[in-house]
Amino acid sequence: MNFKIRKIFAVVLLSVLLLTTACTPKQPGRFDQVQQESSRQKSGQAVAKSATQGGEFNKFFPPAEDGYQRVFTQEKKGFAEAKLKKDGKEVAMLAISDTKSTPATAASYANSTKKIAGYPAREIGNTQTAILVNNRYQVKVLSRSPSFTASDREAWIKKFNLDGLAQLK
Amino acid sequence: MSKPIFELVDELPTNNLTVSMLNSLDFVAPGEWKNIVGFVNTIKAVTGETDENLIQAIGERAIYLYNDRSQGYQRAMWLYQTVDRTDKALGAAALANKVGEKVPLLGFLNSLTPKADKAQTIDLCLKLVAELLAFCSINGIPGDSIGDFVASLGEYSGESFIRMVALVCVDGLIPLGSDFINKGLSLLNQTNPQELEQNSTFQNIQDVIPGNNPASKLNFIGESFDSVKGWMNDLVVSRDLTPQKVASQLQNLIEFTGDKLDYLAAFLDVATNYYEHTGTQTLARRLIERAVAEI
Repeated sequence: MNFKIRKIFAVVLLSVLLLTTACTPKQPGRFDQVQQESSRQKSGQAVAKSATQGGEFNKFFPPAEDGYQRVFTQEKKGFAEAKLKKDGKEVAMLAISDTKSTPATAASYANSTKKIAGYPAREIGNTQTAILVNNRYQVKVLSRSPSFTASDREAWIKKFNLDGLAQLK
Repeated sequence: MSKPIFELVDELPTNNLTVSMLNSLDFVAPGEWKNIVGFVNTIKAVTGETDENLIQAIGERAIYLYNDRSQGYQRAMWLYQTVDRTDKALGAAALANKVGEKVPLLGFLNSLTPKADKAQTIDLCLKLVAELLAFCSINGIPGDSIGDFVASLGEYSGESFIRMVALVCVDGLIPLGSDFINKGLSLLNQTNPQELEQNSTFQNIQDVIPGNNPASKLNFIGESFDSVKGWMNDLVVSRDLTPQKVASQLQNLIEFTGDKLDYLAAFLDVATNYYEHTGTQTLARRLIERAVAEI
């Protein structure tokens, strides 16, 4: 009897062990789902066909000024970005993007109460300030140095040619 | 399906011969490169953001961008990987040494064949061309003028800069000597399209090199080399780089004698993949910079 119980116990234990080790699915990673979603088609899933070419945005960026240098770093469909340097050191990034490709970005302005230069504005995380121009183009300034504060970001957003950008179709 | 970008970045080694080699070149540009590995780590390092939801959103946008083939990121990754095909077996054998022990080059002499100067020159040039093409695939052609574009090329820093330093040191100075720029130019002038076609790296990437035939592709390669020779020369002169200086730094990792520099070059060529390693880091950085600006 005792032997039988021990045998049953061993079998139960073994099957529990097998179930928990062999059959436990691999813990999905935090980016697995988005990887799956974004691989369903080969192209066009991240950037809308109708998005404005990045080169169209360049002329609306603020020019270099006293002690600041502006270096363009990326120009892709629906996106342009420049680095802002002071005394040779990177202090911020300046960017314009077309929210045709990122409708969630445009939607996130719906509840914003803050305005900069008359446009709905958002403060994001520790380093970012952005506005939405003409319900379509996001202008964002991102700090790359602690010395470049939220008020610096706001001041630099105002230096973009926002009226010009608002006319862009 | 190609590997997800977050896996490529997560799987970057924290310590191997490639990483040690790049660290030993730190003397050229002290503190310029840190071996940041891991997708989330890279997001934090690039953006300075700490909020987990924000990091998730940035990562998800970056993954979408990478997987959209029209955006050119996968092509850039392929270029970095393809010009750097290493002999993994030999690399692994080199690493079989105990941690902290130098790799004895002597043990590998039989399995190494130093390249002729011309073949080495073609390899160096193809790496440069791949860099130029990958740059444009990743960043587009930023700005409205040639000046803007040159300025954006001049912004090479961090992992991009150490990649170019390694190119000059490991694919230029060590195999070809201190006069590698002029030597390379003259060897390239003596190269005919048929010789180019025999190069295995060229065979792999020729479709993406501008030009209708091998002759015009060779022309493009020559022009690319010509356009960066000034930059390479400035680097060599300003840091007073010599094959001996580079070799003496590398002697901290690898045991070899000064008369075996051609074997050292052949060994590093097959045992390291610094283009792929730092190229993955460059690509991840640029993707993340774009993603954070778009969300």
